[in-house]
Amino acid sequence: MPSRSEDILKGFQINWMNLRDADSGKILWQGNEDLSIPDVEHEARVPKKILRCRAVSREINFSSAEPMERFRLEQKVLFKGRYLEEWFFEFGFVIPNSTNTWQSLIEAAPESQMMPANVLNGNVVIETKFFDDDLLVSTSRVRLFYV
Amino acid sequence: MGLLSILRKLRSNPDKELRLLLLGLDNAGKTTILKSLASEDVTQVTPTQGFNIKSVQSEGFKLNVWDIGGARKIRPYWRNYFENTDVLIYVVDSADIKRLEETGQELSELLLEDKLRAVPLLVYANKQDLGQAVTAAEIAEGLGLHNIKDRDWQIQSCIATEGKGVKEGLEWACKSIKKK
Repeated sequence: MPSRSEDILKGFQINWMNLRDADSGKILWQGNEDLSIPDVEHEARVPKKILRCRAVSREINFSSAEPMERFRLEQKVLFKGRYLEEWFFEFGFVIPNSTNTWQSLIEAAPESQMMPANVLNGNVVIETKFFDDDLLVSTSRVRLFYV
Repeated sequence: MGLLSILRKLRSNPDKELRLLLLGLDNAGKTTILKSLASEDVTQVTPTQGFNIKSVQSEGFKLNVWDIGGARKIRPYWRNYFENTDVLIYVVDSADIKRLEETGQELSELLLEDKLRAVPLLVYANKQDLGQAVTAAEIAEGLGLHNIKDRDWQIQSCIATEGKGVKEGLEWACKSIKKK
C-alpha cells in the first residue's frame, strides 16, 4: 500500500508558470515544460523591459489528483542565494482532480533602487515550494536571464 | 481599476489581509471578471476545475481574490473557501434564463451559511450584451435580493468580456468593506 503522502506526490503536477507586466496584463515569459520535475533548475529568458514594469505578476498553475487539507506555498526570490522577497500563501483545501492557479502581484522597487539587468542576469531565482501541512509536495526553481 | 488600485483604496482598513470570494454557476463569467481586473486577455478563458487566486501586496497590505469553479460537481467544495471572506461576489449569467432558478437556489443556500453571515454581497448581472439577457432589476427580483435584511447587498450589471461595469461593482465592494 503506498502511503498517503506518496499518493499526493504522485498526483501533483505544476503545469506552467508565467511572468506578466501587471499593468498591461501581457505575458512576458511563460514556461510550459513540466516544472515539477524535481532537481531540475528551469531557465526563463525574460525581456529586459520587465525591470521597468511598475508591477509584475507571477502566476503558477498546478494540478492535484488527491484532495489536500492544509495546502500552502512559500515563494522566494533569491539574488545570488540571498532572499530578496518571500511570499507565504495558505490555500487550505485543494479539491481532488483539480487544476488551480495562484498569481502574486507585487509593485517593483523604485527605479533608483532597481539593480541593472547585467547585475541581475542569471543571478535571480524564483523558488516555489508547495506543502500539505508539513509534507513538501513540490519544489520548482526558475533562474531568470534578462535578454 | 486594477487590483493594485483597489488595494490602495483599502489600505486604511484595520485588516492587513482582505479576501474577496467569487462564486456562481459554471459559465457565469467569474474567471473573466477576475482576469479583466488584471487587464488580462479574456478570450482564452476555460472552465475552472478548481480555483484561481490573485494575490496583491502593497506596503504590507494584501488582497486575495478567490474564484472557485462553479460546475455542479465542484459546488459541494465551495464551503471550504468561506472562512474570513470580506465580500462575497456572486456572478450570474443574465442570458441563462433557464438556470436563473438554479442560481437563485445556490445563492440562498450561501446566504444561510454561518461562515458567510453578514458578509456583504455583490451580485454581478453579467453578459448584458447578449440579446436574451434580462436586466439587473429582473435578476434582483428572481434572486429575491430585496428580501435580504441581514447584510449589505448590491447588484451591478456588467459585461465582463469588455470590462464594462466590473469597476463600479468593486467600488461598492470597497465601500462596504470600509463600513464594517
